[in-house]
Amino acid sequence: MRRQKDILIRSLWFATASFAVLSVFFIIFFLVRDSIPLFQTVGVLDLITESTWNPTGATPSYGVFSLIVGTLLVTLGAMAIAVPLGLASAVYLSELAPPKVKAAAKPAIELLAGIPSVVYGFFGLIILTDWLRVTFDVPSGESWLAGSILLGIMALPTIISVSEDALNMVPRMFKEGSLALGATHWQTISRVLVPSAISGITAAVILGMGRAIGETMAVIMVCGNAAVIPDPITNVLSPVRTLTGTLGIEMGEVAVGSMHYSALFAVAVVLLAITLIVNLAAVAILKHIRSTHGAEGSGRTPLLPANSGMAVRAGLALMAAVLVFVLFPPITALAVLASLAVLLVAKDRVSPKVSQKIAFSLLWGAIAAVLCVLGIILLYIIVNGLPALTWEFLTQPPRDLGRAGGIFPAIVGTLYLVGGAIAFALPIGIGAAIYLSEYTRGGNRITDIIRTGIDLLNGMPSIVFGLFGFAFLVIFLNFGVSLLAGMITLGLMILPTIIRTTEEALKSVPVSVREGSLALGATKWQTISRVVLPPAVPGILTGTILSIGRAAGETAPILFTAAVFSKRFLPTSVSEPVMALPYHLFVLATNVPGATKNQYGTALVLLILVVAIYAVAIGIRSRYQKNIRW
Amino acid sequence: MALLVLATLFTGCVGNGGETTPTPTTAPSVQSISVTGSTTVLPIAQKAAESYMDANAYADIQVSGGGSGAGVQAVCEGTADIGMASRDLKAAEKEKYPDLVQYVVARDGIAVIVNPAVAVNSLTIEQIKAIYTGETKNWKELGGSDMTIVVIGRDSSSGTREFFSEKVMEKADYVSTQLEKNSNGAVKQTVAQTPGSIGYVGLGYLDATVKALKIDADGKSVEPSIETVTSGDYPIARTLNMFTKGEASGLSKDYLDYILSPAGQKIVEEEGFVSA
Repeated sequence: MRRQKDILIRSLWFATASFAVLSVFFIIFFLVRDSIPLFQTVGVLDLITESTWNPTGATPSYGVFSLIVGTLLVTLGAMAIAVPLGLASAVYLSELAPPKVKAAAKPAIELLAGIPSVVYGFFGLIILTDWLRVTFDVPSGESWLAGSILLGIMALPTIISVSEDALNMVPRMFKEGSLALGATHWQTISRVLVPSAISGITAAVILGMGRAIGETMAVIMVCGNAAVIPDPITNVLSPVRTLTGTLGIEMGEVAVGSMHYSALFAVAVVLLAITLIVNLAAVAILKHIRSTHGAEGSGRTPLLPANSGMAVRAGLALMAAVLVFVLFPPITALAVLASLAVLLVAKDRVSPKVSQKIAFSLLWGAIAAVLCVLGIILLYIIVNGLPALTWEFLTQPPRDLGRAGGIFPAIVGTLYLVGGAIAFALPIGIGAAIYLSEYTRGGNRITDIIRTGIDLLNGMPSIVFGLFGFAFLVIFLNFGVSLLAGMITLGLMILPTIIRTTEEALKSVPVSVREGSLALGATKWQTISRVVLPPAVPGILTGTILSIGRAAGETAPILFTAAVFSKRFLPTSVSEPVMALPYHLFVLATNVPGATKNQYGTALVLLILVVAIYAVAIGIRSRYQKNIRW
Repeated sequence: MALLVLATLFTGCVGNGGETTPTPTTAPSVQSISVTGSTTVLPIAQKAAESYMDANAYADIQVSGGGSGAGVQAVCEGTADIGMASRDLKAAEKEKYPDLVQYVVARDGIAVIVNPAVAVNSLTIEQIKAIYTGETKNWKELGGSDMTIVVIGRDSSSGTREFFSEKVMEKADYVSTQLEKNSNGAVKQTVAQTPGSIGYVGLGYLDATVKALKIDADGKSVEPSIETVTSGDYPIARTLNMFTKGEASGLSKDYLDYILSPAGQKIVEEEGFVSA
């Protein structure tokens, strides 16, 4: 009886884990189906090697090579900024920060994730591109660099949060052992703690990269969108156009069924292929690290073998070099790099204490920079948004195209959408994570397929979810533009984040705890539900918080599936469309002249809403965390 | 606890869906239609909907954007009652959806705008074309100061760009370094803050932050305005459309009639467009 129940439960979790794979299959099917006409006329090879994208020219040309290059460059630049800064901030928060600083900085950084991409985009368009134009004395600041900086900032919270959790999960005895052996704190951090957490950190980077590749709205606003390959290729001030940007700006207006329409679906297919390659590469790297790192559990060794440590360090050095080149003019960059190189060579001669001092001040500088950026963006929104914030604004429906009146229906609509997305994704995500973490030790072919499915889903750009939601939920299943279609689309989008963070949280529970429970005669499910899950709750909440932030601020997935610009009554059923804050903001900002005041007001309300949700979740998490000690 | 909050949220909205007792706002007499598509036409549709609903308490008109293509598709697939487009139907659409009925709700002049720092005040269509094909690269070639021209255009599926391509570019290809924007607002914003830039937007987007160029034709300089578009003097003008599947009926018909009535056309002009 007990056994049967366990099998039943296992099957249930297996079903939830398979769900991600099924979604990926459907998404790919619908994208490929609509891109076939183009592949029949143009051919796969021509599509990806031809660099001219001019679908509406006198003789249309459908080459996406320049778009592929643009996507890769922008993502690379974003990672060069986000990985060193993110990792340094995570180390600072996990190891160095005084409790009070940590208590303030951690939620502040998570808040960065909650700023909607439309807001980032407008901040980028108005402040960042202008600053770049003046600083580098170029005709226009809309460039690869602008895109990379903005995407880097957007990827930071994901990288910091997940890396910090990974660092916190390293057993205390590793640190104590290292310190007891006479290593300095910095030596312990750089040679014991970071290498031990490398799998979680890699997961963090992959998640951050997924965010960067998939971003649409912000990229459209700051990259210039000229379909050219930078000349020379290192010219970070050249405008570029990404695959997501192309989808985002052209999808809405294109004639359905035309060759241009097919071409855009082909772009989506190419985008998916790239995310597949990037993800598989990342997974392979992760596997390699794990295998050299030693098996999980008792045989676990805290130190990376010397050569893989070198590889990690070389990678970080390369990223730092790119970062320096991106941030400073060439001459300054060379000077900075030269001094860094001198430092590196002199490192062995410098006493551990001095190098610790230098390292710690660099870490401090990193987190200060991150918080500074957060401060600037927040201040900008608050200063511009505060004048619009009145009681009427919060409780009235919009008037005069949103220039007057309020945004009450949009606030409610956003809550419905996010609540529904979480209610949809949380059970499936947690189930899938339980299956992957608790039932598949060692792994097999099916597990590999499931993992690949989740990775693919994670790498999928939000605009692709929007297209799929429209093609499958709205049209094929005939849900219409509705709350339900929006909830499911958003739910699918945040599913991989929930699965990944939950899985990491479950993994952090020591194996000995499970063994102890099983040895005492508890069933597998009893062990999971009463011993493994409760301590993993803070980690699961972190994932949920990140997801809420993302779901609340996304525009692209709800554009064609759920949102309307105006609606007289609140929705009374899930088959009705809703107003939503990000979409309202998007239309106000781009299509309604003279609505500047309410545009910032809407951005501020969206921000406050996200902060409120975060505050609740963070409060709960810290309460839980106090009770857990291994 | 968080789960509880979220669960409450969710059951909250599902619960509403299951409610059978009619509340005042959901009285059975409520009629709703959805209007979707071109974001250029959206301001007209929305403003007219607001004003129509003020007079008719039973009506619920839901307006959303998404683009001309999305609008045409939505009305044909039955996910919307009225589609908006800032362009005429394309051959592919006419073939696929033969039963669409077109309503011209407004006309729109496309203004060529430059950053206020640009000294040039008027250009001929040929000069604008030379800028957009990349032949003319500096304002000094056009009598302005020595300043690189930053060319800003719309995305390749924009109805506005398509019209510009026909009227100004004569289908010639745009310079490959053209910065592409996905909305009128984004074009205006970029032109306003980038010295030496040129772009094009609908009349409703003109304000003091950008300078609208006059168009030189037949010895006259014509400025973009409601008057010059109405009189036919301004050369770059197009129609804005709404579509229904078959002849409009019920609330859709009443709403379209309202937009085409004098009161509706007054709204069109208030939003900076030209009455049809």
